[in-house]
Amino acid sequence: MTTRHSQGLAVFTGLFYLYLYLPILVLVAFSFNTQRLNLTWEGFTLHWYDVLLADAKVGAATRNTLAVALTSTITATAIGTLAALALQRYEFGLRRFSETSLYIPIVIPEIVMGIGLLSLYATLKISLGLTTITLSHIAFSIPFVALVVRARLHGFDRSLEEAAMDLGANEVITFVRVTLPLILPGVLAGAMLAFTLSLDDFIITFFTNGPGATTLPIYVYGLLRRIITPEVNALSTVWILTVLVAVFFSQRLESRET
Amino acid sequence: MSNKRSQLWKGMAALAVIGLALAACGGGAAAPAEDTDDTAQTTSSGFQCPAANPKMEVTSTEVNLFVWTEYVPPDIIECFELVYGVKVNRDEYSANEEMYAKLSAGGAAYDLVQPTDYIVSLMVRQGLLQKLDKSKLPVISNFDSTYMNLGFDPGNEYTIPYQAGTDAIVVNTASVPNVPQSWADLWKPEYAGRMVFLDDSRATIGMVLLTLGYDVNTKDPAQLEEAKNKLAELVPNVKLFDSDSPKTALIAGDADLGMTWTGEAFLAQLEVPTIQYIYPTEGAILWQDNYAMPVDAPHPDTAYAWLNYSMQPDLFWLMMRDFPYTNPNKAALDYAKGSEIVVKDSEGNDVTPKQLYDAYINSPVTNTPPEEVKKGHRIDDVGDATPLYDQIWTEVKGG
Amino acid sequence: MTDFGRAVQRLRQKLAWQGTGLILPGLLWMVFFLIIPLILIVVLSFGWRGAYGPVDWGSTPAEFFSRMSLDNYVRLLDPLYLGVLWTSLRMAGLTTGICLLVGYPVAYYLARVAQRWRSLLLFLLLVPFWTNFLIRIYAWMLLLRTEGLVNQTLVVLGLIPEPLQIMYTPSAVMIAMVYEFLPFMVLPLYTSLEKLDPALLEAASDLYSRPARSFLRVTLPLSLPGVIAGTILVFIPTMGMFVVPDLMGGARTALVGNLVQRQFLAARDWPFGAAASMVLMALTLAATLLYTRVSGFGEELVV
Repeated sequence: MTTRHSQGLAVFTGLFYLYLYLPILVLVAFSFNTQRLNLTWEGFTLHWYDVLLADAKVGAATRNTLAVALTSTITATAIGTLAALALQRYEFGLRRFSETSLYIPIVIPEIVMGIGLLSLYATLKISLGLTTITLSHIAFSIPFVALVVRARLHGFDRSLEEAAMDLGANEVITFVRVTLPLILPGVLAGAMLAFTLSLDDFIITFFTNGPGATTLPIYVYGLLRRIITPEVNALSTVWILTVLVAVFFSQRLESRET
Repeated sequence: MSNKRSQLWKGMAALAVIGLALAACGGGAAAPAEDTDDTAQTTSSGFQCPAANPKMEVTSTEVNLFVWTEYVPPDIIECFELVYGVKVNRDEYSANEEMYAKLSAGGAAYDLVQPTDYIVSLMVRQGLLQKLDKSKLPVISNFDSTYMNLGFDPGNEYTIPYQAGTDAIVVNTASVPNVPQSWADLWKPEYAGRMVFLDDSRATIGMVLLTLGYDVNTKDPAQLEEAKNKLAELVPNVKLFDSDSPKTALIAGDADLGMTWTGEAFLAQLEVPTIQYIYPTEGAILWQDNYAMPVDAPHPDTAYAWLNYSMQPDLFWLMMRDFPYTNPNKAALDYAKGSEIVVKDSEGNDVTPKQLYDAYINSPVTNTPPEEVKKGHRIDDVGDATPLYDQIWTEVKGG
Repeated sequence: MTDFGRAVQRLRQKLAWQGTGLILPGLLWMVFFLIIPLILIVVLSFGWRGAYGPVDWGSTPAEFFSRMSLDNYVRLLDPLYLGVLWTSLRMAGLTTGICLLVGYPVAYYLARVAQRWRSLLLFLLLVPFWTNFLIRIYAWMLLLRTEGLVNQTLVVLGLIPEPLQIMYTPSAVMIAMVYEFLPFMVLPLYTSLEKLDPALLEAASDLYSRPARSFLRVTLPLSLPGVIAGTILVFIPTMGMFVVPDLMGGARTALVGNLVQRQFLAARDWPFGAAASMVLMALTLAATLLYTRVSGFGEELVV
């Protein structure tokens, strides 16, 4: 690659990152705007952060979101890991069917799954709420966990397991003491993916939520449809900062490890 | 790739911790008070909550409201939570059909909803609402009789009034020199691409029917077909349909004119004084929103408590400050007329109920002139023709 | 059969039972929360809405089944709805195309840049990706309003006489969707490009006099798995998108996603909405299958 080319690419990439961050920076900047309607910049204030912290609905929505995310992550990871093991290592009659059903949520638009679930709950007269949201989240998380864990199992060296079994360990002990620790990074990656998917999910939650079961994305969507005060900016800024800090910390921890 | 994976895992753990911390320190305002004594309590905006009069006995700890967006003052909700120690769950909708869909699909357990007049008779017929126990509603004496006992609910068996108003034309006279005077005027090419309309099939189709000289509640398929074609001519000129907060587009300058409700027009006018509310020559659309109780309401006791408390005169006048529509609650209006207590409005300025009352009475927006009421048209249930209206709406909006 | 044969058979069966046991929770969950809802949607798509309600199930299942018809699908053949489908395909295609054009150079640069910058740049790429997508849409709503920053800047710089009407138009939807999905395109592309052996590229530039040729003949084909994965990751969600047109599209942008959403919420015609979503799913699956036929699934690319 010639220097001119690489310079051109560098500039292009630079512009790209500018384009990527400009909206977010503007968003953050305007969270300090004194003007309630947030159309033009009027002055600097921290008022909206006060409003945000006092906002009971935001707190409730955050709690709901985290509760759903934690529950669905734990369940989906467990079920998904087992499924990955089954698909990667065993031959059994229902194999093809299982594999297909696990791939479907990944390749269909979320809205189809959303309305499907809504129709299911409505037909069965199940009350919409945090429970239905959680059940739905688990449903779309399992395939992703399975996918990630399978990728990790691919090319997994089974000789360690065989050695353990030769030494007299039964299958369960082998699994717990040998297999699991070795696939743990993959399992954790899957768990983390499930957590993120649940935390961020809007479309499926949109169709399956009920009274008092508002999650943060749904709440933000509601806010976006009305008069948007800088409080939404403040909420967004806090959200972005949290993510930034989290990813930064993880990078630090990881580089310390290696 | 495993680089990113473990990084993300740690990231998520940290995120969870931080998120929990945020959730724990956020939402401090509405901790339901264990003591429900009647000493005055204050909301987070500094409003002093009046005592509950009469105070009702409740055993439930929650109440589930399903209400219109931008329709219940936050102070009222906070006061109820403080005074009764009951948690208020509020879900919102921006179209009657949306509310109806959720209720008839079953599964969503709300205690109170706010149906507009025309959908009440439908909901009653479908068995979705329960009869109100008037003995538990002393608040009923607060209402102006003009808003009671109307055609959609004779004897007020299922509903009590909430707010009323009109749908009419709203214009920013600063950017629109040629102010439209009738619904039909809105088809003029000079307004193309600058209009905001209500995302409401009955109101908008009804308005089109009026321009054709037909009844807003017609069931005649031929007339409806005509209306569909006329509406199809209008839609390309519409910038957006909005029933969540039509005033936003007007204030931000994204739309210059259109069709909206009284409350939105009034609030827009406060921000941008050049915004005017015009009653069209064909007649505006009259409506009234009411409180009703779904048949499977899980907490009727707190629901009745809410109705009585939230619509107390010394509390309900807040509607004039936050969401100014025509107010059927005569007791609240009388209270405001005579009250000089000082509260903050949305801009943080001081204002008294009396000032709000004067503004309310003097504005032709909130205080609908009698001749406009006479000329106005009220939407009613159209029974079997309902799918026709829905279909027209789907087709002209292109989905 | 010999004793040994029987023993093998027993072992195989035992393994099969184990496998089935492990897959069972996942399978049951998917059957109940995915397969059955999908079947329900298919069945619904042949049905009718009630006069007021979302579905007319009839008084008995037998009655419902006897009244099933293709009416909803026929209704979708109306030029109006075909137009909606076409618009969705076009928008999804355009979004994917633009993401590819913009994302490829960036991915290429990232794959070639020095290691010490790489992790920082990747980190910076991921951060917006990690924020909730509604926040990113909101950011663009702020920027694109008539009195928003984009217009203000353009007017102040004298580039335009008066503010552009961007908000509430299909352009606004495109801008937001491209922004939304760029990371989905860049990441698989980067992964694929990173795996390329620099020696191959050197050899290519030795063989071909012009960089463009070595790119087209060597680099691009080798990065094809990334291109495919990225395209799928952008195309599928874009096809079903309704949130962006809902918030930013105004009256004139209706995609299939909006049609389905409205039929299920405001318009209460679930059977019609179900039929529309069936068509949406068919289109999406067809496009995806076409891609994977052409090039394999690119499994190594997915996480």
